[in-house]
Amino acid sequence: MNAFLARRRSRARGTVTSPAGRIGRGLVNLAAAAGLVYLFLPIFVIVLFSFNKPKGRFNAVWQEFTLENWADPFKDRALVDALGVSLRVAGIATVVATFLGTLMALALVRYRFRGGQVTNLLLVLPLTAPEIVLGASLLTLFLEPHIVLANRQFTLGFTTIVLAHIMFCVSYVAMTVKARLRGFDWTLEDAAMDLGATPTRTFLRVTLPLITPGILAAALLSFALSIDDFIITYFVAGPATTTFPIRIFGQSRTATPPQINVLATMILVGSVAVLAAGTAWGRRRARRLGLA
Amino acid sequence: MIDRDPEGRKRARLAPWLLLAPGMVWLFLFFFFPLWTLARMSLSSRPSRFANPTFDWNWSNYGDAFSRYGEQFTRSFTYAALATLATLCIAYPIAYVIAFRGGAWKNVLLGLCVVPFFTNYLIRTLAWKTILGDQGPLVEALRSLGVLAADGRLLRTPLAVVGGLTYNFLPFMILPVYVALEKIDPRLVDAARDLYATTWRAFRKVVLPLSLPGVFAGSLLVFIPAAGDFVNAYYLGSAKTTMIGNVVQDQFLVQVDYPVAAALSFVFMAIVMVSVVVYARLLGTEDLA
Amino acid sequence: MTARRSHTGIGRREFLTRSGLLLGGTALAPTLLAACGGGGDGGGGDGRSVSISNWTSYIDPALNRAFTRRTGIKVTYTEDINDNNEYFAKIRPNLSRNQSIGRDGIVLTDWMASRLINELRWVQPLVEAEIPNKKNLRAALRSPGFDRERTYSLPWQSGVTGIAYNIDVTGTEIRTIDEFLAVEGTKTVLTEMRDTIGLIMASMGIDTDEPTFEKAAPAFDKLERAVRDGRISGFNGNEYVNDLGAGNLAAAFAWSGDVAQITRDNPKVRFAVPESGGMLWSDNFLIPKTSNRAGLASRWINFFYDPANAARLTAEVQFISPVEGVPEQLRKLGGDAAKLVDNPLVVPTEEFLAQNHIFGPLSGKEEERFDERFSQILGTG
Repeated sequence: MNAFLARRRSRARGTVTSPAGRIGRGLVNLAAAAGLVYLFLPIFVIVLFSFNKPKGRFNAVWQEFTLENWADPFKDRALVDALGVSLRVAGIATVVATFLGTLMALALVRYRFRGGQVTNLLLVLPLTAPEIVLGASLLTLFLEPHIVLANRQFTLGFTTIVLAHIMFCVSYVAMTVKARLRGFDWTLEDAAMDLGATPTRTFLRVTLPLITPGILAAALLSFALSIDDFIITYFVAGPATTTFPIRIFGQSRTATPPQINVLATMILVGSVAVLAAGTAWGRRRARRLGLA
Repeated sequence: MIDRDPEGRKRARLAPWLLLAPGMVWLFLFFFFPLWTLARMSLSSRPSRFANPTFDWNWSNYGDAFSRYGEQFTRSFTYAALATLATLCIAYPIAYVIAFRGGAWKNVLLGLCVVPFFTNYLIRTLAWKTILGDQGPLVEALRSLGVLAADGRLLRTPLAVVGGLTYNFLPFMILPVYVALEKIDPRLVDAARDLYATTWRAFRKVVLPLSLPGVFAGSLLVFIPAAGDFVNAYYLGSAKTTMIGNVVQDQFLVQVDYPVAAALSFVFMAIVMVSVVVYARLLGTEDLA
Repeated sequence: MTARRSHTGIGRREFLTRSGLLLGGTALAPTLLAACGGGGDGGGGDGRSVSISNWTSYIDPALNRAFTRRTGIKVTYTEDINDNNEYFAKIRPNLSRNQSIGRDGIVLTDWMASRLINELRWVQPLVEAEIPNKKNLRAALRSPGFDRERTYSLPWQSGVTGIAYNIDVTGTEIRTIDEFLAVEGTKTVLTEMRDTIGLIMASMGIDTDEPTFEKAAPAFDKLERAVRDGRISGFNGNEYVNDLGAGNLAAAFAWSGDVAQITRDNPKVRFAVPESGGMLWSDNFLIPKTSNRAGLASRWINFFYDPANAARLTAEVQFISPVEGVPEQLRKLGGDAAKLVDNPLVVPTEEFLAQNHIFGPLSGKEEERFDERFSQILGTG
């Protein structure tokens, strides 16, 4: 019976033999392919122009091919410093947000309690609020004269940026870990405890290792979001702190050195590499565990 | 045995709140509380031009917000709606092909869709500025084909702004739609075919309705940030395509008129929040993850 | 079941190792890069260094290096000023609460300098003892209304606002504001209200020395009509530099030195002072009150008041120098620099100065009305 259904399934799915069906199928495939080309068009331009040798200070018109930008990608000190600031902000924000967010996700997925639905909703709100409102509201928070800590008010700068980033990353981490934990077999914990493990031991030696890939994925997402954030950061950065996106915004008005494209391409390639490595590792691990 | 519900969750009273506490405190301090300070700012007025505003129940800021910026409000929501529609048209085929015909390549293809967005948001938008440039190959081609007038241009038009919004928020539509399509049991489509439905009919009657939660989620995730964006209008637009985001940014960070800017942000936020809550109630927030 | 369970043991060690490595790497990388990159905030914490914010294309970087070689003071030079109002909004939250802005020197136009010096008192006096070259300041600039003794400010450069255009795109020369508005193609004007409205007022014969809102109203109306008809596409600060060169702009209101620098790279881009007159302005060097390196900052500006250095600066940026004796130094430099002596946009004659206009001071109330009407037309007000 199963074999019969399987045959029917494989024959029915995707093997429409009528001409209209084939054209329709072709059109959909074409649309999807065109969509993918559309997705990569700007990327192609960005990478291409990293090899450009611009005449003057702006990298907007193709002049000639050169490798010298890649030979000296860190030529623009201000840009590299800004990247450093972004990485530091992202590092701190990711660690804190992953910790806070994972705890929240565990609470929502492991337990059934009064207020669970409401909490879920509250967690989603920061994700759906427009960035401009988040940035504006944080600015008004940091400008409030009545908030005084150790005799000092908030100063717009590195700290305020980190605080803001942790805020929006927490929601993303919580949502991502929650999604990854969906379908997790919590009875494994029961089994461990049946075998004599204490709840703490169970958590550390059974649960945590199994949910770690989900947590890492969330951390990676949080890191990427923090590095790329512009609008919220722009509102709370103050006059003295420049992150990578803020630097690009300011600089793009007057000069666009090809080093911007070089650094962007490097970040892109790096992220893809990490993603690919992570996926391969996850797959190997899943296979080894017999979970795939 | 521990009492578990169908989804495997334990009944508990204290433990979950302990776990939730640190995160909730953070969100309270830096998300909910700032909304209150924003509201306070919107009801403040400036004693002198550059002094810090003081709270004094000044409702006129809201009057100003509505009367002066009505045009930008409608424009923002219009552009965002157009962008949402456009992302849907582009994302749906992509998500459909990956979900139904992806096979072993599903994750790779999905990864491919997300990879372009590992470049910086501003750099991507600047790349569109290059692509749509007046002296660039695209505009020249369109001019020679007659699609554009001889002196027509793409930059600094509403089309460029909506195009930018569409591109930048595309993955927010692809992913939810994909998740919804992937959940569809292929046997349902088989069943439809068994009942002599054509592929198109099976799609219309089975796949499309089941993908709607994904479509709704994606629409929300595109519409809201698009309506509040200012970067695309800034790089690709003109003085006649300014959006609410540009106004808020300008009022806060150039004109330094915090109270009116705060009133504006608050109104915008209120509209958005109400829609989110309504959607969430209708669909359940589980699907948004 | 039990067999599968036992795999968890081996797997877990690897997970922890790998996750540890990954997290460690993630944490380490930023630190490494930070070490290489140095601080992102302004002003070094150690030893003698000074942090300056300025407009773009306003210096020859070699001069900063020369300053460091001569004095041993490191210079962190950031080109993050794009528009007076925008920069003001950036520093306002900090300076209004006596918090540092991470800078020891900033450069702002006359009217904004006046606001910081007189209305808000957010700047501190320059350290006279460190500026012996102050005597080289040109007589005409020694005693402006907003800083009679030049206690708080020293001019950085002066310039003229006029029309920049790309002859390839417009196909014709532009000589008046009306021609500017009529020419086909994308055109922008400046977010700097005094420049944009000033030029239009001058073209309509309205006096700009003592401006009032009533007098300026026709100019505002004309600007608004032009925006509504699409004859003006946008407002910007320094951004026109990028777009002019890339061919995305036919013409723009622009600042003289900027365009001279573009013309050097792209001779198709030209600058024209409108027949009705351009707008003259000066940018001023100021020291924020929160800086604790006023002495070093003063030494920095002193360096640029040496005629030889001032001439090198002018040769690069092609704005009007406030330093006496620059024309002679330019001649000594020879070549292109010497030719600048004959360019009235760089070495202005009395006659030239008389033909151009200055935008007079505005009271607080008047400025508010001007700003509000202007930002309304911008589409963001």
